[in-house]
Amino acid sequence: MILLSIPEFIGRFHPILVHLPIGILLLGCLFQLLTINPKFLGVRPAVPLIYLLGGLGAVFSSVSGYLLSQSGDYDGNMVDIHQWLGISVSIISLSVYAMYRKQASEGSLNIVAVILIVLISVTGHYGGSLTHGSDYITSALKDDGKGKAAIPPVANVQQAMAYTHMIQPLLQNRCYSCHGADKQKGKLRLDGKDFIFKGGEDGKALVPGSAEESELIKRLLLPSSNDDHMPPKEKPQLTPEEIALLQWWVQQGADFNKKVQDLKQSEKDKALLLSFQTGEAKKENKQSDIPTAEVSKADNAALEKLKQAGVVVIPALGSSNYLTASFVTAKADVEVLKLLEPLKKQLIWLNLANTALDDKGMETIAKLENLIRINLSRTKVTDKGLTWLKSINHLQYVNLVGTKVTAKGVQELKPLKELNSIYLYQSGVTKADEALLKKIFAKASLDFGGYVVPTLEKDTTEVK
Amino acid sequence: MTRDELNAHRLVKEAQETELRAFTRRHFLKESAMGLGAVAMGALLGSCGLGGKTASDILYDPVHPLLPKAPPLLGKAKSVIYLHMAGAPSQLELFDFKPELMKMDGQDCPQSLLAGKKFAFITGVPKMLGPQAKFAQHGDSRAWVSDNLPHFSTMVDDVSFLKAVHTDQFNHAPAQLLIHTGSARLGRPSMGSWATYGLGTENQNLPGFVVLTSGGSFPDAGKSIWGSGFLPSVYQGVQCRSEGDPVLFIKDPHGMSRDLRKASIDAINASNEQEYTAYNDPEILSRISQYEMAYRMQISAPEVMNINDEPQYIHDMYGTQPGKSCFANNVLLARKLVEKGVRYVQLFDWGWDAHGDGPNNSLNIGLKNKCRSIDKPITALLLDLKQRGLLDETLVVWGGEFGRTPMMENRNGVQNPYNGRDHHTDAFTIWMAGGGIKKGYTHGETDEIGYSGISGKVDAFDIQATILNQLGFDHEKFTYPFQGRPFRLTDVGGKIIHDIIA
Repeated sequence: MILLSIPEFIGRFHPILVHLPIGILLLGCLFQLLTINPKFLGVRPAVPLIYLLGGLGAVFSSVSGYLLSQSGDYDGNMVDIHQWLGISVSIISLSVYAMYRKQASEGSLNIVAVILIVLISVTGHYGGSLTHGSDYITSALKDDGKGKAAIPPVANVQQAMAYTHMIQPLLQNRCYSCHGADKQKGKLRLDGKDFIFKGGEDGKALVPGSAEESELIKRLLLPSSNDDHMPPKEKPQLTPEEIALLQWWVQQGADFNKKVQDLKQSEKDKALLLSFQTGEAKKENKQSDIPTAEVSKADNAALEKLKQAGVVVIPALGSSNYLTASFVTAKADVEVLKLLEPLKKQLIWLNLANTALDDKGMETIAKLENLIRINLSRTKVTDKGLTWLKSINHLQYVNLVGTKVTAKGVQELKPLKELNSIYLYQSGVTKADEALLKKIFAKASLDFGGYVVPTLEKDTTEVK
Repeated sequence: MTRDELNAHRLVKEAQETELRAFTRRHFLKESAMGLGAVAMGALLGSCGLGGKTASDILYDPVHPLLPKAPPLLGKAKSVIYLHMAGAPSQLELFDFKPELMKMDGQDCPQSLLAGKKFAFITGVPKMLGPQAKFAQHGDSRAWVSDNLPHFSTMVDDVSFLKAVHTDQFNHAPAQLLIHTGSARLGRPSMGSWATYGLGTENQNLPGFVVLTSGGSFPDAGKSIWGSGFLPSVYQGVQCRSEGDPVLFIKDPHGMSRDLRKASIDAINASNEQEYTAYNDPEILSRISQYEMAYRMQISAPEVMNINDEPQYIHDMYGTQPGKSCFANNVLLARKLVEKGVRYVQLFDWGWDAHGDGPNNSLNIGLKNKCRSIDKPITALLLDLKQRGLLDETLVVWGGEFGRTPMMENRNGVQNPYNGRDHHTDAFTIWMAGGGIKKGYTHGETDEIGYSGISGKVDAFDIQATILNQLGFDHEKFTYPFQGRPFRLTDVGGKIIHDIIA
């Protein structure tokens, strides 16, 4: 650790020190203005002393502020404005004290008090902007992108420019506020190729081609409790994917002009890069377990009736109106199944395993248009009943273990585009049909079961 | 309305009006100011992770404590089967292949490995011990598995291995407690209790959290590792026997008919209800519902807990030994229970503590026999869940409480008579399968002699966070207020192991 010089050490107290004169002087102004009302004349004798204390505080703050500004971590222009405003506050407050000594008129004292309030506010605002960034207050009102990706998703990641479309936005959203045009903490700027290569007061930030040696990457990877960890722990952090992206970019030579596709990528990198692509591309490889569309709340009376019948109906997750239903402790009679109908929009998972459900009951099931998973294992459903599932467009999972359905019936499910798992262990599907079904449902995983764990000699003997 | 009712109604109304009259403008102003302060305070405390937690956050309904509940997040796993090899199996003879260690076999352990380390038994300078099994890569994922597990080696493409698990406890009981309750000391709820507390269970005729033990002894940590700690006691694990009656005294005594049993339970419940009207203690309602559940369990439990009605080919697959108490029977039972909607099944198999102080505790005899007793059942479990379409929603976890040293144990400085390894905290292997876990993946790596993890290190809290995540919980928000602060399973640790999540 580099020791701070003593002036810089004193300078760092500036953000704490300033609040003292601000408070004191505002109180002085307030008291002065209150005396307009004769009721408050009692506080009048304290006002000059308050101004004196406030003025002295302002002088100390100005000195510490000047020392801090010498560190060069801050934007020059804004510092200048803040500095002169601060100095004028000190001067004015001390001169007001002098005005009291000279017994100036109450009218002029009131006017100066108002001027001082305005001046303190403006100075304070500039000071705040210097420490927190100029959009600090308004960012709470705006959608500040917290929780949102630092890198706007790109349409085709391989075609994107590695720096311009991915690295630059990331640096802009996570680093520029302290290492940009306004502020250069540690004398480091990251807004531009030359600045990035120049590094900061601790030396080079980047070693192109070696992420391990690059200070920029090292500091991202430090535990957040470490003082050198970047970004500071109270600021929005980079996601593991964003860090990995930076590592990849540095490792490949920190290039500023190439497209992603022209840089070397391992399989892992490809997957990582793909995660920065817009939604459409992702959806192709990943189906959701729950519909994205909103749905209204289920009717309470209908839920109550199902509960009475022993059907377990609960939301798919706490905050969702989508429901799952299990018949693990209920009978799947037609009357009970009919009770599901009012929930046809909400039901997404249905477990009827080991019930006496038959083809007739399937007619009711067909109305549950939003089902994603259905477990019909060891029910009495046959090919005839299975055809009812054809209309449930979003079905992904169908469990037909231990039913009488045959390949003919299963083929009927071909129109279901989203189907990804079909379980057919101990069903009527013969060994000969397996190849055919695999061809028809090329995208889904089919499980015909019947696994055997052979008994080896070792399984029944003991080592002595 | 009768005259009495009318009078009562008027009295209530009058009381309400009097109360309203007492509210003046001053009250309003005072309350507003105080109220704003309270709101601000709440927001401030909320950001500290305190406040906000009140009694109403307790998800406990004393009348129906086990009713199924929705998880706060979308969970991939509905149930968990946790296979714990009590005594800690050697990662170096099963999954963590170290050819370098073979070269060092018989040499004195370098001082650098011993400096500042604590071991349970090793003293002085032990000798290094090469892998006591033959290794080969298996499946498309090219995962290393030794010839101690020939069946399981065919399953590696369904499994995610965690190769660099570490712990800070080198004795069995605290290490087991840490893995299952999140604390090396007694008194915290076990993972199964948290799961049933948060999710309830689908089948109200069976317990939500079942514990099965095998291997001839209980795990060292005793029953506390399936205890409910400060959660309501109804969430503790129900230990079932795999031999004879699943629960002792579950059968009606000779001469007591089912009707008579029902009548007596009704009578007890009626008197309990009177008690409840008098004292309003919710624990009484809990008691009533427990009696009713016990009555239902008398029928359902023996039925589910009986593996004899499974067909012969299933018995052959698991390698069960009907009529005996063994790990294979327990594994088959676990599958049956999960199929019937049980939330969490915890298996403990005792006898993996291969120190080398006797033949049954050696790497070349005892460990090999233990492996033979679990190899077929765990393979069958994964395949059987898979073919039933249940592996997607059932999370299977296999592991011990810590690992074993690359050094041969020299108890009190004297070489043990058989090949064995001491307790080791810095590296061991746990695997998970199903329940939304990646297939055919290996996370983490140990150094060239398997002494400590060099990448992908995870600890007990990370594993707990991952299991809770698969069940649909944010482990940092899933808390229970106790002794004035919210408690978590993962205490103040735990990072979800995203790399193994599909």
